[in-house]
Amino acid sequence: MKRLFVALAFPLLLGACATQRLQTHALPPETPAAENAAAAARASELAEIEAAAKSQPKSDDGDGPVPTVTPADAPPMRTYDPWERLNRFTYRFNARFDDAVFLPVANGYRRLPSPVRTGVHNFFGNLAEVDSMINFALQGRLGFGARSLGRFVINTTIGIGGLFDVASNLHLAPAATGFGTTLAKWGVHPGPYLVLPFLGPSTLRDGFGLLGDFGTEYAVDLGGLYQSDNAWMLGVANAIDQRAHVSFRYYQTGSPFEYENVRFLYVRKRLLEDEGLHRHELPEKPAPGEPAGK
Amino acid sequence: MRRATTWRAVALLLGLSAMLAVQADERLPPVQGPATGLADSAALRATVFGTPPDRLAPMPDVVPVTEIDVRLPWRRPVPDVYWFDSDLQVWLSAQPKPAPLAIIVAGTGSGGFSGSVSALRGALYGAGYHVLTMPSPTFPRFIVAASSTGVAGDLYQDSQDLYAAMQYVVAHLPEHVQVTGVDVLGYSLGGANAAVVKSIDAREHKLGIRRAIMINPPVSLFASISRLDKLFAQSIGRDEAGIERLYQRLYAELANLYRASESVQIDEHFLLGAAASVLRTDAEFSAAIALTFRLALVEMFFAGDLYAQTGVVVDPRHPPRAGDSLEETQRVLRTKTFSEYFDKVFAPYYLAHRPGATRESLIAQNRLDIIAADLSGDPGYYVQTNSDDLILDASELAWLKRTLGTRIVVYDHGGHLGNLGEKQQIADMLAMLGGRWPGPRP
Repeated sequence: MKRLFVALAFPLLLGACATQRLQTHALPPETPAAENAAAAARASELAEIEAAAKSQPKSDDGDGPVPTVTPADAPPMRTYDPWERLNRFTYRFNARFDDAVFLPVANGYRRLPSPVRTGVHNFFGNLAEVDSMINFALQGRLGFGARSLGRFVINTTIGIGGLFDVASNLHLAPAATGFGTTLAKWGVHPGPYLVLPFLGPSTLRDGFGLLGDFGTEYAVDLGGLYQSDNAWMLGVANAIDQRAHVSFRYYQTGSPFEYENVRFLYVRKRLLEDEGLHRHELPEKPAPGEPAGK
Repeated sequence: MRRATTWRAVALLLGLSAMLAVQADERLPPVQGPATGLADSAALRATVFGTPPDRLAPMPDVVPVTEIDVRLPWRRPVPDVYWFDSDLQVWLSAQPKPAPLAIIVAGTGSGGFSGSVSALRGALYGAGYHVLTMPSPTFPRFIVAASSTGVAGDLYQDSQDLYAAMQYVVAHLPEHVQVTGVDVLGYSLGGANAAVVKSIDAREHKLGIRRAIMINPPVSLFASISRLDKLFAQSIGRDEAGIERLYQRLYAELANLYRASESVQIDEHFLLGAAASVLRTDAEFSAAIALTFRLALVEMFFAGDLYAQTGVVVDPRHPPRAGDSLEETQRVLRTKTFSEYFDKVFAPYYLAHRPGATRESLIAQNRLDIIAADLSGDPGYYVQTNSDDLILDASELAWLKRTLGTRIVVYDHGGHLGNLGEKQQIADMLAMLGGRWPGPRP
């Protein structure tokens, strides 16, 4: 038995060594002509954004004064991360999982014809409108909620079950939100930085938010999709679609500081979004020496 | 390009925007209204924002890309903290038929996944080349997976390591890739590396490199880094407080922009618009450029200090492990200049490993002069640069012109890499690489 094992293992080991030296993976092809055309098309649009930005933030948006954020209001550069050891472990796990499983599957998915992928992406986007709608309502942002509702109705009907994003062509651009943002609107601070298994960077608040979103979707159980026996397939397909739409790749920076950099950027992004939710107030002054997010 | 966008979008928050804009392709419209009237102002803007979309060279519709992960047989033991960097990563775009191979060497701190490299890859693939992209020898993954020293920045030694890695990759290309000849090119520091690689190859004949193009190369590495240190000190400051001020200002500007916008999320679209309005003045452009190089330096400094055991930020007896926090180390490194890297890591290492070397000889050896005879005598070297490139001064530009003769083209504007991918730049590059260069237009 032992001999058999050795006889089997040896060639396997050799094979592993031989393939380890050099591995090739086909990546999704680049499409430079289309991208340059898109950049040219975007240029005029960006000029508009730039012009709008130059006209400076409104000091009053109709609902009251919008105070200007000054550099002194910026949160500290350090980030609140009391669970750093665990987070780093999870980050490393995520990187390995992404490299071994998630990304190869997503890259395989990317070989499907583009209209198919767009359809799938639209379909999941449309399902998510329900959660957005509820959360916009909870946030008291009824205009956005109405937009989500409008998008959902149009895309589910004319867009054939959400496969086509007809609403975007009708100038109803997508805008998604979730329970994490609702908590933020209610004044909950991000709290400790949290790296979720498989999902990546988050905070304690956004982690709870995600649970809330899953719970909402499960409770609403749109079309009976979420409580069926095959709901896990829906989840897997959704995850693959999401991954295929995110260009981030673990450790492409080659940097040992990647954990720090991602944490910094993620938490700053969420804090900036909080500023937008509370545009009539100035951010709370951080206590001296306290890290951001606490 | 696409694959870089989301990451680029978030990166803007750190002020990394600059880094990505320099290396990638923020295709933003040129300034409207009266010309600024200052050549260096235009140079800074071009350096940050790159070629405007309406002046980009035509590109092929589809460029296939294959990633090749290579475990080099001579790789040094991988430090625990670099557990993810054990294999060199190169990207290949192969033609279905026999074709010449163009090898692109990325610039300072870049792994070759940037917009600059994508633009060159697209143009070369469209012109019928197999295209192989190599990271800069200053990129962390190269330092770990392919460097023989771990201390990046020596023009000759780095180029030798690069040459060795290229040979290994070329020898192991997939069988269906039939190569009829090899050319090299690179931008910024990668240009200088590419030229030295060709010079080494002219003696060793391992690859038979025909031509080398340097796009916006430095002439003296030491002079260029001194200029970048100065730019950083002037635009950001010399200490942690300067970096903190920059961050706070950027945060406040983004917060105000975001509050005024209709965006629901901070996404790529919002950030691209914000970049144009946050980066407006020469001081801001300078800060962005200086920060770009500083972030690359942080990586080189950390790796060099770890490998050379010079003990500036890494305790040689207790090197950090994979799960350790590096926040403090990173914070300290952000204030370190290129000069400090030279004095505290690079020079100590090379003085100990090169008998007879002095500080002065190290500076002298890090000039393109070391291959001056080849540059002037061998018709296979070419240079594309700009009269307002901020990593060159007048005497260095004159030296390049004198040495290369008719094999250099100097564009009026573009700053540092600000015209990469532009129609004329690409047309000239392809003429040079194809041996059809008639000399600069009168």
